[in-house]
Amino acid sequence: MSAGERRRGKVIVCRCEDVTLKDVRHSIALGYADIEEVKRYTGFGTGPCQGKECHGLIASILASEGGRDPASIEPFTARSPISPTPLRLLAGSPDAASDVADDEDG
Amino acid sequence: MAGNRLPEFDRGKAVSLRCEGEPVRAFAGENIAVALYARGAGVLSRSLKYHRPRSFFCLEGHCGACLMRIGGVPNLRACMEPCAEGLSVEGQNAYPSPDMDVLGAVDWLFPDGMNHHTLMTGSRLLNQVVSKVVRQLSGLGTLPGSPEPATACESPAWDELEVDVLVVGGGPAGLAAAEASAAAGARTVVCDEHDRPGGSLLADPRHGPRDAAGRADAARRAGARALLRTTFIGHYPEDGGVLLLAGPDRLTRVRARQVVYATGGYAQTLLFANNDRPGVMAARAVGRLLVRYGVAPAGRVCLVIGRDADRDQTDALAAALVAAGSEVVTVDERREQILAARGRVWVSALEVAGADGQVRRVPCNMVAVAAPPSPASEGPRQHGCEVDLRPSEGGFAVVADRDGRTSVAGILACGDVCGATTAERAAAAGTRAGRAAAAGAGAR
Repeated sequence: MSAGERRRGKVIVCRCEDVTLKDVRHSIALGYADIEEVKRYTGFGTGPCQGKECHGLIASILASEGGRDPASIEPFTARSPISPTPLRLLAGSPDAASDVADDEDG
Repeated sequence: MAGNRLPEFDRGKAVSLRCEGEPVRAFAGENIAVALYARGAGVLSRSLKYHRPRSFFCLEGHCGACLMRIGGVPNLRACMEPCAEGLSVEGQNAYPSPDMDVLGAVDWLFPDGMNHHTLMTGSRLLNQVVSKVVRQLSGLGTLPGSPEPATACESPAWDELEVDVLVVGGGPAGLAAAEASAAAGARTVVCDEHDRPGGSLLADPRHGPRDAAGRADAARRAGARALLRTTFIGHYPEDGGVLLLAGPDRLTRVRARQVVYATGGYAQTLLFANNDRPGVMAARAVGRLLVRYGVAPAGRVCLVIGRDADRDQTDALAAALVAAGSEVVTVDERREQILAARGRVWVSALEVAGADGQVRRVPCNMVAVAAPPSPASEGPRQHGCEVDLRPSEGGFAVVADRDGRTSVAGILACGDVCGATTAERAAAAGTRAGRAAAAGAGAR
């Protein structure tokens, strides 16, 4: 990182977890250049937005700077809930009641 | 850093919020982020790790930059919560206030960032102490101070829905798909997470609320049912496959013969220093402020046209901003390198370097960043649909044929989720996908 870059400030790639471009480059340099590895090392995509803003961006950085063919880069698993959901909504599920019953049986 | 509410714009009845104890004038038709911006609010919250100042970026519920404590509930998106009389709104992760947070010193102390893998790991004792301190300082919000009111603890409603075609997303592609599917005789439901259908049409001055309402009416007249403020939250392959939709007060479990994903894309940022500074917003958010909410940025907007941005769209936005009284300067990423946003808690300038290496400073009160939206492909990915990383189109686009058929039977996709496109093309793709879905569902 040049003095000029340092003076200018952090380049944020994942806003939720404050992951910087430098963090992603560091991860690639350590050999963690797969999207799942970068996710585990830097924590990107694990915040409130679950990668909506950073997933495509970081995959593109891996293609341009990690020397990877875009076709070889797989996205990470999209887990539910895809959008922030209050737990109380899930608590009303008929499954929630039966899950408790199952646990008690077990 | 304030916004001017344009005259003769329907925003519903006037209400008063309480933000950090101060009264804020607002309207029932606005969300909290818009009302605070119109007032001239700087910072909404602080970030989780470095306590950097944050304000909204996407204004459409996706980026996670506007989380606030609203009505005593932590981590709600200020851009998705409607204003209501007397509602209390507070910033998070800041002491004493989001504008002036002493913990922001962390950002200065670690200019190169803080690597938690190697931070103070030399001595076990020191590491334990530091870990404790860091845990106290970081995190998102604090739990509600008092138990939730009894009404909120009652078991919420739960709906079951069986349809021929479910269309996820009510933008140009989704509304056209719903119209075509219903017109072909399929029982069709279209859901959209926002309080009003239209999606990206409501952020584009070439379209706007009237166009969006017209398309939504056409879908309804054809027989499609619209569920608003209803977000698709996941596909569960169990029991033959169900889709879960979350509404404001209930979950809906949907069984659909065919699903059309018209989920569009998420606003993306560009890479430059301090690209998260409040006042740096997605161009689409600035368009939405203007078109959907009738609020024009006061002062000067620096419109940054990203390498792969849709230039017709940025031209239209610039013209509309000027017509609404904002001053606009444009910076083209194809001609100049974007170096850094400047400003302590709100952007005050953008630093750019020309081809000759000369650095210039563009003073401004807002930076609008235009880049192709990143395809919202989570739903199709959960079904196992093939996606393709297209860096110039913002991310993982769903691979679909001309009629929207993906690699998985019964799952279709159209519009920006298949790669950035225009509203016209998205609508045409939606019409084809809607017909194909109705046919696939066995409609007459």
